[in-house]
Amino acid sequence: MSESDPKMSRRDEMEALLPFYLNGTLGGENLAAVEAWLAEDPAAAAALEEAEAELFGSSAANEAIRPPADALGRFSKMLDREAGPARETATGSRLAALWSRVAGLPSGLAWATAAAAIALVLLQAAVNIGGRGDGYEIAGSEDDLKAMPFALVVFKPDARMADIADFLDANDAVIAGGPTAAGVFRIGIPARTVADYDRVLGLISAAPFAQSVTAGKKPADGG
Amino acid sequence: MGSDAASDRELVARVAAGDRAAVRLLFMRHHTRVYRFVARQTGSESMADDIANEVFLELWRQAPRFEARSEVSTWLLGIARFKALSHFRKRKEEWLDDDRAAAVPDSADNPEVTAMKEDKGAALKRMIEALPEEHGTVIDLAYYHGKSVSEIAEILSIPEATVKTRMFYARKKLGEALKAAGYDRGWP
Repeated sequence: MSESDPKMSRRDEMEALLPFYLNGTLGGENLAAVEAWLAEDPAAAAALEEAEAELFGSSAANEAIRPPADALGRFSKMLDREAGPARETATGSRLAALWSRVAGLPSGLAWATAAAAIALVLLQAAVNIGGRGDGYEIAGSEDDLKAMPFALVVFKPDARMADIADFLDANDAVIAGGPTAAGVFRIGIPARTVADYDRVLGLISAAPFAQSVTAGKKPADGG
Repeated sequence: MGSDAASDRELVARVAAGDRAAVRLLFMRHHTRVYRFVARQTGSESMADDIANEVFLELWRQAPRFEARSEVSTWLLGIARFKALSHFRKRKEEWLDDDRAAAVPDSADNPEVTAMKEDKGAALKRMIEALPEEHGTVIDLAYYHGKSVSEIAEILSIPEATVKTRMFYARKKLGEALKAAGYDRGWP
């Protein structure tokens, strides 16, 4: 059996397709064939278990590799030296402005803080399309933010910007301040009751992007 | 990497319009996987660092030419693959000899001793790390990067049938290695 002209048995073909069955990319005839094999061949279940073990092995082998913490900062310097169109979009300008806000952070913090902060700006940009002025602000007025209940959150280094943005959007939460030099963000939680506040705080604590969560000011209802 | 495909494409469109912040955003989103992909191929993290940066600079330069038929992640991995090949082609032999040989089981250990040293999961991780590059790459692209047969074919510039064949041999090698280490495996 050569690599360019394989003559694999049906079992061999099924074994070759199992990784794609597991990662959900199989479709059409191939998917039907694997499903039929799994249903009819007693050995198929064991083969699937082996493929699952390989999946974990591949994940472990990859996740053992850690990119340098300062990769984004170094790349940004390289990017700044690159020629390119001079004009940036309005959103791009705001992103660039916020980028400068986090660029001075210690390299180990830059990933999480930049990801979260830029996610916020994307949300803000979406809001601004609805007719807000050109001025740039983190979220809401200063007075609103100061009065809002909040929690103090540090994001994991590998937190996904999209996950944070989705979470904030779904819970009407905002980044009310930060990051501090230690990478701490103040997340505004517009809860009316302590129960609502605690519910959102619990969601943040359980979120895969949160490294640490500390309760801050709660609503004044006493409940 | 695939769940944000639509917004990835929007970001590439912004990059094409000259938005540097959009490049940084894509960098944050995809750099870790690109870096790991190159590191796994080349066995060199310093090379992965250089090549990953080059990939995203290429994104900046080539964004206007991006065709939305592919996912952005697939496009980036394809660029990474090309650049990695260019870098290590001339050093492939020493790379194989030096780095990967270290991961091959010590033949002085019999299967029982090897099995005592590590559990099956750890053994499998080590064996995947020790696979020849062409086999390890398809394993990683399918399992870790979640790519389909056609996407792997695109990234590696090989026919889909070859992807399947390499996957077969990769999994067979893993089965044989597990068996040699004293683990049961349901492989014919």
